[in-house]
Amino acid sequence: MSAPEVHHLFHNPIADHSFSADRQTLAIARDTTVELYGRVGNSFKLKDELKGHDKTVTSIDIAPNSGRIVTCSQDRNALVWEPTPQGYKPTLVLLRINRAATFVRWSPNETKFAVGSGDRLIAICYFEEENDWWVSKHLKKPIRSTITTVAWHPNSVLLAAGSTDAHARVLSSFIKGVDARPEPTAWGERLPFNTICGEYLNNSAGWIHSVAFSPSGDALAFASHDSSITVVYPSAPEQPPKAAVTINTQLLPFMSLIWNGEAEIIAAGYDCEAFRFKGGINGWQLSGMVEAKSRPGLGDAREESALNMFKQMDLKGKVKDDTQLKTVHQNTVTMLRPYETSGDAVTKFSSSGVDGRLVIWNV
Amino acid sequence: MSIIQQHTESSLTDAWRTINIDALDPDSSQNFPLSTLHPPQPEFSDQDARNLQSQIRQLLQAGDAEGALRSALENPIYNAPDLAKETHLQTVIEVLQRIKVNEMTPLLQKIYNDDRGSESLDVLMKYLFKGMAATPSGISSQHTGNSPRTPTKLMTPQATGFSQIGGRPGITSGDSTGAAMSVLLSWHEKVVEVAGLGCIGRVMTDFRRV
Repeated sequence: MSAPEVHHLFHNPIADHSFSADRQTLAIARDTTVELYGRVGNSFKLKDELKGHDKTVTSIDIAPNSGRIVTCSQDRNALVWEPTPQGYKPTLVLLRINRAATFVRWSPNETKFAVGSGDRLIAICYFEEENDWWVSKHLKKPIRSTITTVAWHPNSVLLAAGSTDAHARVLSSFIKGVDARPEPTAWGERLPFNTICGEYLNNSAGWIHSVAFSPSGDALAFASHDSSITVVYPSAPEQPPKAAVTINTQLLPFMSLIWNGEAEIIAAGYDCEAFRFKGGINGWQLSGMVEAKSRPGLGDAREESALNMFKQMDLKGKVKDDTQLKTVHQNTVTMLRPYETSGDAVTKFSSSGVDGRLVIWNV
Repeated sequence: MSIIQQHTESSLTDAWRTINIDALDPDSSQNFPLSTLHPPQPEFSDQDARNLQSQIRQLLQAGDAEGALRSALENPIYNAPDLAKETHLQTVIEVLQRIKVNEMTPLLQKIYNDDRGSESLDVLMKYLFKGMAATPSGISSQHTGNSPRTPTKLMTPQATGFSQIGGRPGITSGDSTGAAMSVLLSWHEKVVEVAGLGCIGRVMTDFRRV
């Protein structure tokens, strides 16, 4: 396993990051702006800044095929940035929410995107040709608190959402005229807008930080603030799930998780590094971390001279400089994304965090 | 008079910030019971807690500390009057005080490796925190009324008026509080060793309070 590619972009938290399909452009949500980095050799150079939000940008997503960038912010707006020869052109989206927008993701077919918000609703946004405008429909009904995360099913109709009311839900975002009728799945057969296909709560009911469908869409994983990961396998529409496996860990909570095939989940969070979970419908378990512990370089104790040792003792009252974590990330990892995939398996993934680092890992 | 002084009393105050806009929104969390979000927990009465206490005491007297601890942790009392919760806290602490320091870690590991062991240790952690939070004033106020600073026997069960632990006659109550606290602290350390920091996080996030 080769070493991860570490890019220390700046000394601010990275709220979210997204790569273009060719992985040459990296979009970073930094404070109130969106920074676009281009790959130059082995590093990323700042090449453009998208300014349009006036409060913290909370989430960002690049559509792989169209190249459109969608961003959302605490200023309650979402913007779609259309690539043009003169640069990116922003279009405001009619979200109709009166609290911060917290999370945005394009649907896999790129005709819609979902914006989670603190207004206890999810805005499903789609383009209306006759008005030349992005409009939204609200998924509202069972949601009782802020939406922290959303994830799309491969069929672009089902949407998973995690909320601070401790529920992970699977909802239908079917929009007439935009979506074709989806094939029936274990989640549901007829799926009019706002059908609740599943509502899950784990035992101790912590806030949900991250949700993800497995590559096939037949299982849902969510990470919550009680340091656990729960994987739900639906059986049939309107039926209780075949299995709901919760793994309580000894670690700090996970902020983000991704699937690697159907039998592995990678999750990272407040422990500043990524962990692997392996399993299936009969049970899951923590199988180790992605990061090799004895990496050379960082954290290595250098040969200390006696002079240096006494100097340190005098200045800092200790011999060793232990202000660095042993992990690559020096603060909470807030977002994981697949970077390179082959079929359903992830071969490389990227992580970003509060420490302003972006790291590309080999699985 | 300078133009700068055109502030009025009302523009200077930030009273407008204290308007609770959530109360005006019919959908807001203020206007629906949060308890509906969670599945209901089984109800316990004071009598149930006392029955459980005497069962566990029997186990303790038979020398089965492990069995006593397990049955105390497998029956956490969530949905009950305060007195029942208090009684069960006493029960748990009685059990904890009966277990020797060098037996703690092996016992915790054994419980943790069980099927629902992680959950049991979460429950234990809840009782440890509750025990630490139960300040002498908090407990004594039920009985001694308005004397919040009086250091009374922390671990004396009020419900039964009978205790095998803590306030033995002749020992000053301050000492017994300290002794009980040190038991809780050493258990806390051992539980964190076995169940990790995740255990503390779960106790803090959990809606089921003991």
